[in-house]
Amino acid sequence: MNSKTAFYILKRILLAILTVWIVITVTFFVMHAVPGGPFLSEKAITPSAQAALEAKYGLDKPLLVQYGTYLKDIVTKFDFGPSLKQRGRMVIDIIADGMKTSVKLGVIAAVIAGIFGIVLGAVAALRRNKLIDKIIMVITTAFVSMPSFIMGSLLLVFFAISLHVLPANGAAKGGLVLPIITLSLYPMAYITRLTRSSMLDVLGQDYIRTAKAKGVSNMKIIFGHALKNSLIPVITYFGPMLAYIVTGSLVVEKIFAVPGIGRAFVKSITDRDYPMVMGTTIVLAVLIVIMNLVSDIMYKIVDPRINLE
Amino acid sequence: MKKLIALLLILTMALSLVACANLDTGGIAVCLASEPDTLDPALNSAVDGATLIAHLFSGLAKWAQDDSGKLVIVPDAAEELVKPVENADGTVTYTYTLRDGLKWSDGKDVTANDFEFAWKRAASEELGADYGYMFEVVDGYNEGNLNVQALDAKTLQVTLYNPVAYWDELLAFPTYFPVREDVVANESWATNPKTYVSNGAYTMTGWKHNSVIVLDKNKNYVDADKVTMDRIRFYLSDDSNNMVANFKNGTWQLIDDVPTNEMATLKAEYPDEYKVAGQIGTYYVCWNINEDILPAELGLTGVEAEAARAEIRNAITLLFDRNYIVNDIAQGGQVPASSFVAMGMTNPDGTEFYKTAGHNDGFIGFYNVDASAVESNYNQALEVLKKYYNFDEATGKFTNFPSMTYLYNTSEGHKAIGEYLQAQLAAVGITMNMENQEWATFLQTRKNGDYSIARNGWVADYNDPICFLDMWTTASGNNDVQFGKGNHVDVACYNLDLTDLGYDIKVENGTWAETYDVLIKTIKNCTDNNVRYELMHRAEDLLMSTGCICPIYYYTDTYMISKNVHGFFSNPLGYKYFMYCTIDG
Repeated sequence: MNSKTAFYILKRILLAILTVWIVITVTFFVMHAVPGGPFLSEKAITPSAQAALEAKYGLDKPLLVQYGTYLKDIVTKFDFGPSLKQRGRMVIDIIADGMKTSVKLGVIAAVIAGIFGIVLGAVAALRRNKLIDKIIMVITTAFVSMPSFIMGSLLLVFFAISLHVLPANGAAKGGLVLPIITLSLYPMAYITRLTRSSMLDVLGQDYIRTAKAKGVSNMKIIFGHALKNSLIPVITYFGPMLAYIVTGSLVVEKIFAVPGIGRAFVKSITDRDYPMVMGTTIVLAVLIVIMNLVSDIMYKIVDPRINLE
Repeated sequence: MKKLIALLLILTMALSLVACANLDTGGIAVCLASEPDTLDPALNSAVDGATLIAHLFSGLAKWAQDDSGKLVIVPDAAEELVKPVENADGTVTYTYTLRDGLKWSDGKDVTANDFEFAWKRAASEELGADYGYMFEVVDGYNEGNLNVQALDAKTLQVTLYNPVAYWDELLAFPTYFPVREDVVANESWATNPKTYVSNGAYTMTGWKHNSVIVLDKNKNYVDADKVTMDRIRFYLSDDSNNMVANFKNGTWQLIDDVPTNEMATLKAEYPDEYKVAGQIGTYYVCWNINEDILPAELGLTGVEAEAARAEIRNAITLLFDRNYIVNDIAQGGQVPASSFVAMGMTNPDGTEFYKTAGHNDGFIGFYNVDASAVESNYNQALEVLKKYYNFDEATGKFTNFPSMTYLYNTSEGHKAIGEYLQAQLAAVGITMNMENQEWATFLQTRKNGDYSIARNGWVADYNDPICFLDMWTTASGNNDVQFGKGNHVDVACYNLDLTDLGYDIKVENGTWAETYDVLIKTIKNCTDNNVRYELMHRAEDLLMSTGCICPIYYYTDTYMISKNVHGFFSNPLGYKYFMYCTIDG
């Protein structure tokens, strides 16, 4: 790594920190501006009990003071505070619990999508206009256009109820199989199509023709030259794919009752559980910022011609 | 790239190996709802949480089925449910003796001090529990110092402001269950099986957050020999479609929710498993009493205006066909409501409270909800509305009814009902727009009174009509109608005459605070149960006379339970009991 790259990465990291700080600030103030509060329920508690709770959690202080305290706790102690709804649990523990499952779900889905997507895309490109190409294209079109809640429900009915071979409950043994499949189908289909078109493009390039003319073996052409270069657009898709997997998992977690972070995130907003809203937002923001950074750096590694500046 | 993929695979495998105890087998598997917010008996205010707590803790009393299958309140930790002793100042004192051999799940003895501590903690403002007010009947509650004390390790004495008809039932309510001081000193005690010390039929042996909570039979429980179910697995999910999938493939034996759009199919497909139980609650629509719905040209003000509005609101109530709502929209076996206090409450003579509401001959409640009365109700409503609004005979519509907005929280079910109400009103020329809000925003808006008409619902906490009536006092935090607030504070048009019941209370043209608030206070201090129920009927009469409450249906609890499960029962509050269950095969 030369100093230019190092400087670039450092700059990106500082920018990432700035981004996260802006996310924290905006979320904090917007969250408090939304009507409703954590201690509001259909059966009202007495005003004095409410005041006691607000004092306990520091919600009686001016908003700016609360904001300052929150930032300080995050930066100095990495303390996300206690959940206001799930009394007795710390936000960091709830997030860790949810992330354990969500990361597993997301990573496996991304890996499956990547591997199958690239292989199928390459096969389709190499067998262009043959039967296998057509089959792959029809299937991927279907997967790309079908929303995950429909796909999830179909898989659920077929595998969990009719065939009874996989559990419908995400928390059970083997329960993550269906959610992973559901979550991976869309990015897999997308990567397939991306790889196919990019590979076709590369295969038509002069240097491939030159290699062929020089008598380089087909395998070497495909794996040594074509595939590597045709992966550049796929890598740029890495960031959006992560965003899809994070948002898609909200739906999938619900359909399959998966104990992930998505459900906790949605619930925290409905509950006005301020520390939980902040905690989950920060974690997701950091995750996306990091993944975008990784995606950019990988981009550079695959194609040295790209100037990061 | 290859290295990265390899790294990802290794990470994946490592994560898959995160070991978890085998919580997925044995006993009965049920799903009531998603992860409970808390399983601290004092803090819980959810029905699913209460079911878990009822299995984990043993209060002085509990719900049980007698030999005929009837639900009764029986002693649990107490030797018997004693009668109160009246004191000179009108208060009453109960002295309970605890049974021998009561143990916490960690082997320590359960003492009367644990009850005293638990009650004082639950009622305290510092804890800020949703159900802290459940102790408002106990002497000293208003001063922040409950009059309850452990006379010795086995004797608990508690004094109430006055006799309370539903006291034994309160003792079976989770907020009244004991907790131990050294256990709850750890604020997160109730979130981890290792620190969760209970004294009931079960102990918590596993809690995979957001997945499953496992209860195993507590060998230390004094009635352990009567408990037939060794293990209960409570799966945590909030998706009713997912619940049905797990029920259909036999993974779960009971699910507490079914999707509305599948109710008809499931009922036909699983006639023996599909159950509808009564629940003490009412789904209703409430008006903001300060919303002016009179045409400006009428020129009415003050008392006359409020009387006219009450008449109009009561007339609009008659425009809706509740049988249609129940059978074609809600579809959950709900019962059309003709009063606010829900079905399931009983009068002292054993008759149903809702059947004697409204004091009408020929039909039950404040108006006739029979399918045959739809047309006459409709005509009656039109006659009343014609007195105040211009009616175009040609189109059959009113032309100068101010447009209103119906506020509801985002949900397909609430929306469908709202749209029906909207259509019924549109048919007579009344424009009602629809506005939906996300739950917490909705609660805040409704509480603040920033609405004209809103969807509402109330489920009882104990079997006494007062929990439907005291929410409408001026100062109540649940007074969404805004009685006695805003412009309504000075509206003096209500009458209250209790002289025939022996009280020196007679108010003519009083404000809400001078009538309804006084009536509720009288009910709370009343020691004669028959008089008390008569007072509660009068409170409901006064409430319904305002027309601000438009009851739609009485709630039901729809659930599915496997045919193979025997010995299951649920109580009117919706708590489900699995301890005496057995499973065939």
